Formats: sequence, C-alpha cells, structure tokens
Amino acid sequence: MDYCILGRCTRTGRLGLAVASYSLAIGRYCDGSVRPGTGATFTVGNAHPRNNRLALGLLAQGFAVQAVLESLASNDPHHEWRQVGVLDREGAVQVHTGHRMHATAQRTGEGWAAYGNGLANTSIANAMAATFTEQPSDDLDLRLLAALEAGRAAGGLSGRDGRLPARSAALVSWHLRDFNEIDLRVDLHPDAVAELRRLYDDTKPTLAYYDERGRSPHNAESPIAFAERLRRQQGKETA
Amino acid sequence: MTFSIIARCPRTGRFGMGSSTFSIACGRRNESVRSNVGISKSQAFYLRQVDVLALNLLAQGHTPAHILRTLEGRDPDFAYRQFGIIDRDANVVAHTGRSTKPWSGHIVGPGYATYGNVLAGPQTLAGIEAGFLREPEAPLEERLMQALEGGREAGGQASEGKRWPERSAWVRVVDRLDHPEVDLRVDLHEEAVGALRQLMTEFRRYEAYYRQRERDPASAIAEEDFTP
Repeated sequence: MDYCILGRCTRTGRLGLAVASYSLAIGRYCDGSVRPGTGATFTVGNAHPRNNRLALGLLAQGFAVQAVLESLASNDPHHEWRQVGVLDREGAVQVHTGHRMHATAQRTGEGWAAYGNGLANTSIANAMAATFTEQPSDDLDLRLLAALEAGRAAGGLSGRDGRLPARSAALVSWHLRDFNEIDLRVDLHPDAVAELRRLYDDTKPTLAYYDERGRSPHNAESPIAFAERLRRQQGKETA
Repeated sequence: MTFSIIARCPRTGRFGMGSSTFSIACGRRNESVRSNVGISKSQAFYLRQVDVLALNLLAQGHTPAHILRTLEGRDPDFAYRQFGIIDRDANVVAHTGRSTKPWSGHIVGPGYATYGNVLAGPQTLAGIEAGFLREPEAPLEERLMQALEGGREAGGQASEGKRWPERSAWVRVVDRLDHPEVDLRVDLHEEAVGALRQLMTEFRRYEAYYRQRERDPASAIAEEDFTP
C-alpha cells in the first residue's frame, strides 16, 4: 500500500522521487533509487531491495527502460507481486504493475511516473500526475512533494475497511553531486505526508547554509543563531 | 553540534553508525556508510564530498590513518573539521580540529570511535561509550541505540550553560548487501533520541514480516491483517 512519483526536472536534469506508504520507514528502501546522470527507480507493493541497484546498473550500462524492466522480471520470481517504475536521464519511463497487486493505478508521461497500490480509488495517479505537471518550471523537490500531497488529497490509501493512513513517507533528489541534494524521511507518523511537508518547509532553507558553513567555516554563523534568524524571518513573512 | 558513534561489529563484521544532532535530518548524510567498505562520517564544519572521497580511498585500499593524513594535507580548514573513519579490519581514526566548537573531542576504542562537538563535556562521550559497551552481545543497532541514549543521558549537546535538544537522530547498519540492513531515522522531533527508540521498538515488531514479504510476497498476508 503505497503511492509514489518518479520525476525528472526538464530544466536541470535533476532526478528524484517521493513516496508514501502504510508500511513503516518506506524511506529505507530509497537507498540507491536515484543516480545522477543515470535515472531513478522504485519498487513498491512488495519491496525488493535489490531492484534499485540492478535497475540503475542496467540503465548505466546502456539498456533502455523497457529492457531494464524485462531484466527485472526474469530476475525475480515474484515480479507479478511488485510495482516497479524506471525513469532514465532523458525522461523515458515505464511502470510495471504486477497483476497480483490490488487497487492499483499508474500514469506516465515524459519525465515522470505516478503509481500506487492499495489505493482508495484510481484517480489518485491522475491527481498526482496533474499536480506534478502543473508547474514544470518549479523546483523538482517541491513538485514531487506537491504530487504526493495531491495523492493524499485524492483519497490516499485504502484497506478492506476503508481509509488507511500513510504512516511513512520520503522525498529524495539527486543532481550533479556524488550525494543527494535532499533526502527527507518520516518513518512513523499518523499523517506522514503532512509531516513530510512540515519537515520539508523547515529543512529546505537550511540546506545551502550547511553547504556554505563547510566551505567557509571562518566566522560561520552557528546553527543556533541561524535557526533563530530563520525563525524570525519566517515569522515576519507570515505576519 | 552533533554526537556520533561509528563501529564494526566484532562478531558479524557489520558496520553501523548512530548519530544525533540539533540540525534537522542528520540521516540525509547517507553517503557516509558504505557496505563492504567502511564508514567515514564527518561533522562540525563538514564538507559532504569529504566522506565520499574518504570512502573511495578506503575502497582503493588505503588505511584510515593514511586517509586522515591525505585529508589534512589538502584542507586549509582542517582545524574546523571533525570526523571518524573505520575500515573492514576495524582500523579506526578520529580527528577533532582545534577550531571546532567546545566542548569537542573524541574517543577511539577497539572497533569503534565516538566524537562530538558543542557537547556538555567529555561526559557525553563517556555516556555514549558506556552505552555502546553495556551489552556487547546485543545486535549492533541496539548497541548504537544504547550509545545515543547514553550520550543524551550524560548531558548531550550544550553551550554557554544551555542544553540543546536532539532534533534529529539516525541509526544505520550495513552488512554485505548493497542496501542497508537497518536504517531508521527521526528527522525533526523535540526529543529525537527518544522518538528513535520508539521507532526502533515498533519497527522490530514488523521487521521479520517485512523481510519475509520482500522474499516471498506470494505467501505474505496483507499488512493490514498483520498483528505485530
């Protein structure tokens, strides 16, 4: 029971994903799911931790997304119990939704894929897609997060007895560097998508500060002073 | 302001790290732990690229001691950095630059190192070490969790007589596979170490179910039917 979006920024080539799940700590499966200059992938429904590196390794070798999915299928006796998206660095994308999965939906377009299982209704992938494609010039992280919120607003997850909460969520993106640009996680929360938004809003303004602090440590502002200054600025903006 | 412990489990060879800090989402720094290579975790005035470089050098066969000298020779701001490096043979080094904010320091023991800055004092590191050594037979993630709790109990982070909260916390353990065995995070919470303990306790009730479901989803029950 998860919903997920893979996305590529057409302006910058930046790659990322956002996911929400009924399972705890879904973000632990994001390890190796995005590789700059190569692609992004994520397996939901029933996680298969080996898929990430295998899929991106195959992309890096030069295989097309369709061939990558075929390889994953023949590599995994339980492929029909999984839902897998693969997106390459040029925006080609495919999703496999195993026929053993329940209440599924998937949508793809150039540079993105929205998919899920255990969903309240089939319009959730549409809602995520519409939000993701609405403002293509916006920051990729923000677009991914907004798509996740749209999925939640359209009904989110559902079990046998009605709506189920997303208890964990994650947002990851990589650009040119050998490490992620953003990697945020909510591992256990009654409303993980809303908590991910709170976390994102608090974190995003600090990322450049921490990079700069390492580059120019002399006379760098302390984290406490920075947090206080940020709080005052944000108070002013909302006042 | 951060305290961390890096370790190699002497029984299993697994690598693990525990970290907690005032800053948000310390666990985003997941480039610092690499399966079958080792750990290089920097903090204070850190450059993320340095952990990647150190792990690349480890993977090429250099020792942690050599890597420390290499980093020192290339970094005009080395005095502002704090880091620890551990390799597959359990060789460990730690560095605490003199320009890191007080109290700062490190302890290096057999197969582990703990270090921090803007701490209440050396007692924070002593608390981490005591927590880590309390149950040597326990799984590495549990030992790392007890280490973080020991650091918090011993005073955690403080400056000018004021205690600072742990707002994020993280435990990550890797084994032979590419993906982590254990990777649990609290990214923003007023008492992140306590919240991480809660998460770990809850997660353990699901852990065997999740592993089984990954390997054999055909015979797994639906998660909503799973009663931990």
